[in-house]
Amino acid sequence: MSEQGETGEAITILLVEDDAPTCWRLQDALVKAGYEVRSAGTLAEARTALTEAPPRVLLTDLRLPDGHGVELIREVRQRFPDTEIMVISALGDEESVISAITVGATGYLLKDAFPTDIATTVRDLVAGHSPISASIARFIVRRTQGAAQSSAGAAPGPTLNTAKLTPREIDILWGIAKGFSYAEIASHLGLSRQTVPGHIKNIYRKLEVHTRSEAVFEAVQQGLIKL
Amino acid sequence: MSEIAAKAPTRPRRRLIVSRLVPYLLLQALIVIATILGLRLLQPSDPEDFALSQFSLREDGVTGAVTLPHFTSSRYSLADPPLYTGAFTFRSADAGAGWSVYLPRFSNAVEVAVNGVVVLDSRRDANANRPDRNTPQIAVIPASLLRDGSNAITVRLFVWGPLKGFLDTVYVGPDAALRPSYETRTLLFVTLQVAFSAWQSILAVILAIMWLMRRREPVYGVLAVAMVLGVIQAFIPPPVPPAAVSRLAAVLLASAPTESALIVAFGVLFFGWRWPRYGMLLFAPGLIVFVVGLIAGPPLPRILFLVLGIPTVGICLFLMACVTATAVVRRQDAASFTIGCAVTIVLTCWVHDMLSVFEIVTNERIFVSRLSYSAMLVAIGAGLTWRFARALNQVDSFAGQLVTRVREAEERLKASFAREEERARAAALANERTRLMRDLHDGLGGQLVSIVALSERGHEGATITDAARAALKDLRLVIDSMDDIGGDLMLALGSWRERATAQLRPHDIALDWRVATPQGLPLHPELRPWHVIQIVRILDEAVTNAVKHAQARNIAVTIETLDGAHGPYGVISVTDDGCGFARAENGEAAGASQTARGLRNMRSRAARCGAILDLGSDASGTRVRLQLPQVFPDSDAAGG
Repeated sequence: MSEQGETGEAITILLVEDDAPTCWRLQDALVKAGYEVRSAGTLAEARTALTEAPPRVLLTDLRLPDGHGVELIREVRQRFPDTEIMVISALGDEESVISAITVGATGYLLKDAFPTDIATTVRDLVAGHSPISASIARFIVRRTQGAAQSSAGAAPGPTLNTAKLTPREIDILWGIAKGFSYAEIASHLGLSRQTVPGHIKNIYRKLEVHTRSEAVFEAVQQGLIKL
Repeated sequence: MSEIAAKAPTRPRRRLIVSRLVPYLLLQALIVIATILGLRLLQPSDPEDFALSQFSLREDGVTGAVTLPHFTSSRYSLADPPLYTGAFTFRSADAGAGWSVYLPRFSNAVEVAVNGVVVLDSRRDANANRPDRNTPQIAVIPASLLRDGSNAITVRLFVWGPLKGFLDTVYVGPDAALRPSYETRTLLFVTLQVAFSAWQSILAVILAIMWLMRRREPVYGVLAVAMVLGVIQAFIPPPVPPAAVSRLAAVLLASAPTESALIVAFGVLFFGWRWPRYGMLLFAPGLIVFVVGLIAGPPLPRILFLVLGIPTVGICLFLMACVTATAVVRRQDAASFTIGCAVTIVLTCWVHDMLSVFEIVTNERIFVSRLSYSAMLVAIGAGLTWRFARALNQVDSFAGQLVTRVREAEERLKASFAREEERARAAALANERTRLMRDLHDGLGGQLVSIVALSERGHEGATITDAARAALKDLRLVIDSMDDIGGDLMLALGSWRERATAQLRPHDIALDWRVATPQGLPLHPELRPWHVIQIVRILDEAVTNAVKHAQARNIAVTIETLDGAHGPYGVISVTDDGCGFARAENGEAAGASQTARGLRNMRSRAARCGAILDLGSDASGTRVRLQLPQVFPDSDAAGG
């Protein structure tokens, strides 16, 4: 069995992970599922790999021996907008995942996930379904509340701009945070089950801060910086 | 015994009084001498070259030669006044400028005629009619009236009792020679008096305003009234007997006793004593003069003033001297010294005037009491203003000190608040660390130990995998519980659902998630991370039991809010279709003990959160019902 994209070619994955056993484990699971996997142990190796051909999917750890995964995600996001990006995380904690989301990652993959789950997640990702975990959804909605309650005093954790989210998107995030399935959320909100992944994709896009100048622009728009 | 005790402190006290009073009295004696000398020096010198003192006086039909200065008898009628007739020699040769007639002192009024023509009538000048002011008069003699050689001069002296009439030496000569003397006297006895009175009126206004703003201090009011009376007395036009006299004006002119009584009242209040009730008697003479004067009309006020008023003024001055002397002994401060000296000066002047009135001392009948009294009042007013300004400065510095103190207190408070905050933060951190350590120890520690044990025994990977996976799961739970969920347990359960689903997927067990009430569970603002960990661990244990020991195929989690007697409460139920732990207990010993320990753990965790754990198990499945408390307990009381 081989996973293929629309063009029929094998789907290429660039796996950036410095811990060799973890890397093997993930690579095994993905190769078994039929993906074409290239792996890199450092930021430099990953950059070299990127010069050959852009991968369809980038899976990267954040703490790398020669730099931070966030830099790689930002670069890939700018150079190859079609590449789907996911963070590999040991614990799925908000601190690392949210900082990756703001530079263009969509969701995370746990390092100890079952092989079948790893394959399913990547398949969904390629199909355009960006997964979002309950804890990440919770972090985002808590941040929207915090922003509404007090403008002064930044909440702890990574900075996150939730100003662009629509009330509907926030409702969806609430549903996910409370453990409801997509079907349950759709029926509660009077949506079609199929539109929920699209909303989630939009949420990811809105949380992304594309450039430094855009970040400044956002800050000015929200009155955080006075010119 | 008691006598000795009583005497002991009096002796040093008496010594103290003597040691303070004697220098003061000596100082006052010096002041008296200085005042007398000053009065002598102040005596204006008159141009004796042109003095005219030999007159013939026709009084009451009797004619006789007199030498000026001369006193006539007191009288109340203006008809047929004493007539002084004299002569002076005029030489037209040396009369470069005009000649004048100059009268330095007279009482009460004069009409001067040269060669039968009236050149001066002092009754037209209001100031000149006041016996208490020593107003001089001068008049230019028209050149056409003067004849070469001897000229006749007549002076009619109008007297209105009870004082005796007085006529000082008359001077006739060139105007240039007489006028400087006249100007000196005018400056001393008229202009200075007016200046003092004007000053006094300003002080009266200031003191009145001060009293209006500070009613608690009547001392200002008393002094203001005294000053107002003084000003009225100084500026009111004195009546000339033939004119229709206002009785009010007449009695106001006789206000000196009231004024002096007010000054005594001021002194008593100023030095911080209570005004004695019998002190009101001091106002009686002034009131009598007022009332009698208003009813009877002149000349009674004048007579009463002389008989009652003047002695009252003297008594008041004496009282005031006593008051200030006592104050000096007690307080030894600048204010009492200054006022005491001023009183001594006024008293000396009063005695001087009395001696003059009774003709014991012949000093051309110059009255200085009023002048010195005005000066004293001005000094007192200035002193009060000075004291007021100093009080304002004190208030300023007090306010400054207060501001500094408040700032210091604020700083201290801020510092202690910061310390307190720091301590609270440290305590919270320590609590959190303790909790975290316990949580990690409860889960992760045991699991890591079992991983070590398994790998040492060389067991196959699967078991180690399970242990490591459980350790990771627990670590995630601990991290997850650190997040602030704002009292919404549903947010924690959402994450747990994901983890549980992932855990069950390899076992092909479906997790049926039912939220019976739309809202899920009630909000618990008091919910703390350690509550969340206990609840999630109970649920984990229930799911783990279902998978490991009961071989369940389906697990259902039901979340609902029920209404109790004291409000809504949440219930979380985990049901499975396994074989139940009751049967499992009969099976292998290891599994049974593990299950028993698991159940015990679940119960103790529920108790720590104030939740009620209900377990039901039979062959068709197990049902774990966790009834949440309405309010989660604040402290981990049951925790060990």
